[in-house]
Amino acid sequence: MSMIGRVRFVVPFLALLLSLVAARVACADSFDLMRLMQLLSAAPVAEVAFTERKYSSLLSEPVVSSGKLSYRRPDFVEKFVETPRRERYRFAGDELLLLRNGEEKRIPLSSRPLLSAFAASLRGVLGGDLALLRDHYQLALQGSEPAWVLELTPLDEETGRYVSRIVVSGHAGRIEQIEVRESSGDRSVLQVR
Amino acid sequence: MAGKKTIAGPSNHAVARYLLTFFCFALLALHAARTIRVESDFTAFLPPSTTPEERLLIAQLRDGLVSRLMLVALQDADEKTLARASRQLAERLGRAPEFDYAANGSLDQFVAQGQVLMRYRYALSPAMSAEKFSEPGLRTALEEQLAQMASPFGALSRSIMVRDPTGEFLAIVRQFDSGAMPSLRHGVWFSADGKRAFLIAQTRAPGFDSERQGLAMAAVRQALSADSPQINAILTGPGVFAAESRRQIRHDAERLSLLSALVILAMLAYVYRSPQAVLLVAIPVAFGLLVGVLLVNALFGSVHAITLGFAATLIGEAVDYPSYLLLNTAAGEATRVAARRLRVTLALAVLSTVVSALALTLSSFKGLAQLGALTMTGVLVAGLVTQFLIPWLLGDGALAFRRPTVPTLDFLARSRWPAVIAALVVAAAVGWLAYQHPAWWQRDLAAISPVPLQMRLQDAELRREMGAPEVSVFVASRGNSVEGALRAADSVLPVLQRWKREQRIRSFDSPVWYLPAPETQFERLRLLPAPAALELNLARALKGLAFRPDAFKPFVEEAAAARREAELAVPPISLSSFAGTPLGARLNALIVQLDGQWLVLTPLGGVTDPEKLAQDLAAAPPGASQLVDLKRVSADMVDGFRREALSQAGWGAVLILLLLVAGLRSVKRALHVALPAGAALVGTVAVLVALGEQLSVFHLVALLLVLGIGLNYALFFERLAVDEVELSRTRLALAVCSTSTVVTFGFLALSSTPVLHAIGFTVALGAILALSMSALWARRNRLVPTGAVR
Repeated sequence: MSMIGRVRFVVPFLALLLSLVAARVACADSFDLMRLMQLLSAAPVAEVAFTERKYSSLLSEPVVSSGKLSYRRPDFVEKFVETPRRERYRFAGDELLLLRNGEEKRIPLSSRPLLSAFAASLRGVLGGDLALLRDHYQLALQGSEPAWVLELTPLDEETGRYVSRIVVSGHAGRIEQIEVRESSGDRSVLQVR
Repeated sequence: MAGKKTIAGPSNHAVARYLLTFFCFALLALHAARTIRVESDFTAFLPPSTTPEERLLIAQLRDGLVSRLMLVALQDADEKTLARASRQLAERLGRAPEFDYAANGSLDQFVAQGQVLMRYRYALSPAMSAEKFSEPGLRTALEEQLAQMASPFGALSRSIMVRDPTGEFLAIVRQFDSGAMPSLRHGVWFSADGKRAFLIAQTRAPGFDSERQGLAMAAVRQALSADSPQINAILTGPGVFAAESRRQIRHDAERLSLLSALVILAMLAYVYRSPQAVLLVAIPVAFGLLVGVLLVNALFGSVHAITLGFAATLIGEAVDYPSYLLLNTAAGEATRVAARRLRVTLALAVLSTVVSALALTLSSFKGLAQLGALTMTGVLVAGLVTQFLIPWLLGDGALAFRRPTVPTLDFLARSRWPAVIAALVVAAAVGWLAYQHPAWWQRDLAAISPVPLQMRLQDAELRREMGAPEVSVFVASRGNSVEGALRAADSVLPVLQRWKREQRIRSFDSPVWYLPAPETQFERLRLLPAPAALELNLARALKGLAFRPDAFKPFVEEAAAARREAELAVPPISLSSFAGTPLGARLNALIVQLDGQWLVLTPLGGVTDPEKLAQDLAAAPPGASQLVDLKRVSADMVDGFRREALSQAGWGAVLILLLLVAGLRSVKRALHVALPAGAALVGTVAVLVALGEQLSVFHLVALLLVLGIGLNYALFFERLAVDEVELSRTRLALAVCSTSTVVTFGFLALSSTPVLHAIGFTVALGAILALSMSALWARRNRLVPTGAVR
């Protein structure tokens, strides 16, 4: 997506958000990070279906994959890709379990800052863990309860070399989209169905 | 001066003699200060190397890769702080002139090295095949890359993918994963519990260069205190050992010899109550030491720090001679007369020590030969000075000093039982030692090192935590050139791979992974298709995939460049390709020249069956590779040395007996002298073994000293006396001599340096035993039969 296109999309969206925020303030029920985390942590334990699109300057068309994303408190997250080929990424404790091509690989999350930051983004958002998110990212929240956008900017230098920003958007306690913007300009957009 | 009034003749003659003596001594001391060079290369105390394996061992211990690796453990802070400190330290050390590189497991550290590996990937990859670059091969690779790109970690592989879609870089890097690296936290090496962050730094200085190793250690501490002063660091490794033991030996030798000298001085002052007497006792020691050290320096070109430390111990023995002479001089008797009377006993005492030290001097062990030469010269000079210079200094006058009485040990002689019991105990000890033999010999070369046990334990602990393999087993591949040696190392890879697959070795780390033999490089590059063919294959493989048609342009260009290198005369990768990277430093250490040949060393980890592996390696053509187990080689060396030392000691003992028989003109008397000394030796060994010590080279040295001292005591005891007064003088002399010995060596036993401790403890114990045995087994009637001529 070109920069112009993005700006054209973002500006009216921001205006809309601002007006919504103003409305919220008027209602004296302010929407902030604390409130969002409260909503997210109160959300029921979930397994949701997703579709993910990878956009890249190397690709003539996005690569589409789909599968299920599940979360169990406090720290179990599994991304199960069903198509185009079955892969499982399971975060539990300090470990990433990777299952693909019938091979199993276990990697300690603490070994690489990129891994622990990635796990923290999923766990933090799915579980509403503000402290965990702040450990790894600078946070910026925009919008209101019915339509919020949370931007995560990695604090760690090594992670920042690959990922410039993670943008999560949703409605109240429900996450609708997770977009990972890579430093290379590539991005992947995961949408909850 | 207490003695002055009794000195006959003009006293200014005496003063002139003292001045002349002092002048000579000052000249010698000045000469010594100018010429003596002190070295502390610990390998001087390693056994001499005769076989190529042994020379390799010594070379590796001195300046091989292992000897240059310094382990740094950072601790006492939280994980994040430690990780940050580790990164900062690695960066600073990487730029420091003392180090080739400092690794901490972090990825960005290996950027330069990764670029080299990436640049030469088609010559380096063990996974190269022609099929991979055919249309179906490329198709499989591209499908895999597409899936990888869509995965959560696609960002990581993106930049490499377009240059290397077939994954050759990964295939190279995968070989290095020996499975023996520390765990990672925050991207750097940590202990499993997260309490310590680890770095490995390769020093430019070889491990034996203790001075430059000390500078490297200081550089680490300085870099650390600049960035993170709150963090504590433990440094370890062979170079650290060298630097630390140099410091320790110097410190111990200085402090302990000063202390023992002070105590002995105090004791002499107490006994003699005469400054002149104390001065006289000190003169032979001083001359002996000085001449001994000068001679060693002249013979060997330098004096080892350990030899110097040992020199201090000579005091204990050399001080005996003047004491024996002075204390045996009757009140009012001229010393010259006493010297004449005692000359046979003194000569035998000196000569028996000289003979026992002869065994050392003949040792092919450079350090021991130095000790031997020092002992021989020192004792001989001290003996001569006692016999001739002291009487000359005193002239006709008698030296007046206090002669305190020492209680007799006659109660021991009243009953035969203590002597019999002692004999039985000694016999039992001989039997027990024979039964335990050879378990009590120290076979581990490491234990002979002058490094304190505590440091070695700490080193072992850190290595275990790091999972760092102890590089003591490796394959040595020979060739007449670097290329030839690389070819030989290349040819054993199939054997090693099979052994690793069958989990009979845990890991191996082959230099040919980074620097393949020229043929292998060319062979791999020729597997690449011609540029036009590759482009066609790629275009076909891309059909129907989501990639843009030009996405892999870098791949096509780089593969074409690599294909051109296959036609060059020189292979693309050489040692210089890795210059300035950690791999370059590693390769320099693993490709070595020895005896005019080139050796490529492949370190192995966790070898289960060395004999079988040695066979398999020998069977692999062209048979230019060989398994080397440094531990085994070193144990063999130590064993070989022990045999040599024992046979020399045996000849020494025979010589001493002959000397005694000749000097005393009686086999019976000779036995009377030799037996207590021998029993003291047996007793000392038995006590050491019972305490759980394993006998090393340094214990042997100490035992030779025990023999010398034991013989001295037995000789002093054995001398027949004219009357009870003379017997009492002998007792006093023996008490003074043995106290000085026990004090000197007792202080040495306090040293934390294993060498000094072993010698100190053994000799102090031996001296006590020798004295007791001599007293127990002394002749019942020790007075000269009336009318007999002596």
